[in-house]
Amino acid sequence: MRIKFKLDGEVVEVDAKHTDTLLKILKDKLGVGAVHFGCGEGTCGACIVLVNGRPRYSCLTLAGYVDGKEVTTVAGLAHDGELSEIQKAFLENDAAQCGYCTPGMILIAKALLDRNPSPSDEEIFDALAGNLCRCTGYVPIINAIKSLSKKR
Amino acid sequence: MSQVTSGYYAPASLRDAISLKKRLRERALIVAGGTAAVQLISKMIAEPEVIISLEKVPLDYVKVQGNVVEIGATTPISRLLEKKDLPNALREAAENIHGLALKDMATVGGNIFTPAPAGDIATALLSLDATLVLRGTRGMRAVPFSKFYRGPLEYNIKADEVLTAIKIRRAPGLSSFLKQTPLRYSGPTIASASVGLDLDKDKKARRVMVAIGGLTTHPYRVKRVERFLTGKRLTSELIEEAAKQLVDDNVDVIEDALASSWYRRVIAQVLFKKILNNFIR
Repeated sequence: MRIKFKLDGEVVEVDAKHTDTLLKILKDKLGVGAVHFGCGEGTCGACIVLVNGRPRYSCLTLAGYVDGKEVTTVAGLAHDGELSEIQKAFLENDAAQCGYCTPGMILIAKALLDRNPSPSDEEIFDALAGNLCRCTGYVPIINAIKSLSKKR
Repeated sequence: MSQVTSGYYAPASLRDAISLKKRLRERALIVAGGTAAVQLISKMIAEPEVIISLEKVPLDYVKVQGNVVEIGATTPISRLLEKKDLPNALREAAENIHGLALKDMATVGGNIFTPAPAGDIATALLSLDATLVLRGTRGMRAVPFSKFYRGPLEYNIKADEVLTAIKIRRAPGLSSFLKQTPLRYSGPTIASASVGLDLDKDKKARRVMVAIGGLTTHPYRVKRVERFLTGKRLTSELIEEAAKQLVDDNVDVIEDALASSWYRRVIAQVLFKKILNNFIR
């Protein structure tokens, strides 16, 4: 089948099998580097993308699901070579060491802050529960998100 | 009607979804949120000729009317949590589905079909005496959730039926769900317990529903313990007594790398006692 969707603002068309995952299409067919394969079962969060603004594990999303929708990877958050606020906060807080979990972490942070601009610590911990980090450590990541939390 | 070729179908109506399912039966895999169904494909457990995605079927809703809560089968956990007046056990189970992405993807209906360690929502729904609404080409059927599981991955559903909604009538006045996971914020359920309870004016148990999750492929109601508690005034001694008979020796409890069956039995008892002791505190 032929699927057509917006990837980071650009329309793409690609052939996919009905059983292909979005992750497979992004990596193998479209050569996207900003999405990582980790566990393949929705535990690690390295493959997270936003579909119409909501976070999804691309390893658990069938390619057909995104037909006609908008997919955003971490690369799509930057504009004209300028990093987004969240990406800058991760840099400033040293929240990426090897970087493997970073795309998923940043997109979950975005999804959280979009619907809850001032999350509590509990809410940040819970939002990140589906994203594993094995080297940076969670503290700098949580600090990066907290630095963006709008306290009123 | 023309031959359905292999492919991905996202019917826009329930009627179309049901008629596809009727024609294709076991050749088709129904996908709601995808968190379990897609793993069947990627782990090569299933090779469906056809995917029927329910993403466009309008089953994503929560309605509370009087003492009836109705939840559309494809309602994701995050949507469920937007409702303020949910029965407590259901809210607790939903809040503790870990992580934003999983909360957005996993659906209430999907949770009912997914074997352990999934099934937190199902465990809570069992303790709320929920009813499942199934629709097929020959009409609608309401099945008490406690009569839905027939064995591991065997359900009281026909090949042309689709689970469309879950109804809770007269939710118990008290209800609570607790689970144990390897980490505080994540990991699969090792064991869970959920209890729904109505007390009469003498503080005696009038209606008791006890559900245990994580120990077997699907959660189950513990009728023996429900009968034992009904009509009695709950005390810590009585709760202790009930906990001893919570997990029957005949139950074949899951044993895996995460936890022994002995540990799962003990944890289920601990959670059950915690819930009831919180009720009487």
